[in-house]
Amino acid sequence: MEKEVTLNETVLSVRGLTKKFGNLEVLRGLDLDIRDGEQIAIIGPSGCGKSTFLRCLNCMEDPTSGSILFDGEDIADMKVDINKHREHIGMVFQQFNLFNNKTVIENIMLAPVYVGVRDLKAKKRKNFFTKLLNVFRKEKKALLPIETTEAQIKAAAKEKAEALLHRIGLEEKANVYPSTLSGGQKQRIAIIRALAMNPKVILFDEPTSALDPEMVGEVLDLMKQLAREGMTMIIVTHEMGFAREVADRVLFIDEGQIKEQGSPEELFKNPKDERLKEFLSKVL
Amino acid sequence: MWQEFVKQFITRKGYISVLDGLVVTVEIAVLGLLIGVLIGTLIAVVRVMPKYKTLPRVLDKICGCYVELFRGTPMVVQLLIGYWVLLPAMDIQVNSGVPVAIIMFGLNSGAYVSEIMRGGINSVDPGQMEAGRAVGLPYATTMMKIVVPQAVKNILPTLGNEFIVLIKETSIVSFIAVTDLYKSFKQLGDPTYNYTVPYLMLALTYLIMVLVISAGVRALETKLKKSEK
Repeated sequence: MEKEVTLNETVLSVRGLTKKFGNLEVLRGLDLDIRDGEQIAIIGPSGCGKSTFLRCLNCMEDPTSGSILFDGEDIADMKVDINKHREHIGMVFQQFNLFNNKTVIENIMLAPVYVGVRDLKAKKRKNFFTKLLNVFRKEKKALLPIETTEAQIKAAAKEKAEALLHRIGLEEKANVYPSTLSGGQKQRIAIIRALAMNPKVILFDEPTSALDPEMVGEVLDLMKQLAREGMTMIIVTHEMGFAREVADRVLFIDEGQIKEQGSPEELFKNPKDERLKEFLSKVL
Repeated sequence: MWQEFVKQFITRKGYISVLDGLVVTVEIAVLGLLIGVLIGTLIAVVRVMPKYKTLPRVLDKICGCYVELFRGTPMVVQLLIGYWVLLPAMDIQVNSGVPVAIIMFGLNSGAYVSEIMRGGINSVDPGQMEAGRAVGLPYATTMMKIVVPQAVKNILPTLGNEFIVLIKETSIVSFIAVTDLYKSFKQLGDPTYNYTVPYLMLALTYLIMVLVISAGVRALETKLKKSEK
């Protein structure tokens, strides 16, 4: 799978990322540039910090130091409105984490509707004050255009959710609760829940580790589809075969550092780092 | 004895005052529980908030004091203080003690519900909060839309229990001159000073109310369980 990744712009840029839990130093200064359309697999022994690293990328864990540049802002900075940025960074969890009290379609619609309605309300509020101040102004300020209504936002989100469900062939599950679904179905719905927000990058935290073996395939297939469509993906995984097939770049993290990175062929055939050789000999 | 009660209850229209008393009792318990659930949820959310910043820490301390204060003093004392101390202090005139009783029972029950609710919130998988935050929802929105509804479902039996405790405890409102179920039954016995039948009937009325509530809570539980299948 040869792709021109060098030409694309950087989506996420990580510099000197460290994370401490109390006195335990989990990440010891990681640097990484992720380009648009790139698929990165992160491998490493358990407890090496690969999940923590991934969770730092959308500040699920607040980094202790270092910077994460996304959309021109350092999201590791506590002053930045992280919620705004998280809308554009999808995340898929090992335990699926579908909202148990919402039906499948509500799960998918919840965030898009929330964001749409919030922005609409913000615009209306702004217009209200502009109107109010316009009374005293000589030169009237233009109002922000409002093209949608709440109902339209909901309808659009519903249409999109239905299209996404159709894509994974689970339309008939739209109105059931997550507790009735199989692990594979849950995880695929979790993936399209992330997609519904049109993210610039999706983080996958061991997406197949909690699945029964016969369901791993359906989830990996969906992820391969996304990869082919050019979705930027960062995947923490134990599926070496998948990493080899899908990833443009594989990172090996150990002791809180990126010990080695490169194309899958390079990394799996000619590992240079001693720890990586040892790790690969155990898992392959 | 029995005839005397029937005479008081039917011929002298005692049932009207009993019904009025019943309404007052139910009113205080239901509205008190509503206020209690509102306050309790708010306190519980504050108390489970992550405490990196100063504001949540200060709020947590305040809520902690509130809970200890209301759990550490008897309900009767709170009621008396509310009616005889706080009302005059704030210079408020009231025709009846019912609003005071509702507020005091609400405040008291809020302290207990907050602890119940805190347990309920902690019993919800932390992944639910993470998933909400990961799609860009703020903490409070995720809490109210995702976590609290699941917590309420988990604690429904305990919440039902709180309602039962509350409805029985309202029998002390006569301390602030409110005519509730107890007072209205007592009045039936007052002309003859024979309280045997009125008080037994009083007990029976409470028992029936409690049984109805438990049945209601059980039905609600089954319904909520079914809704997720």
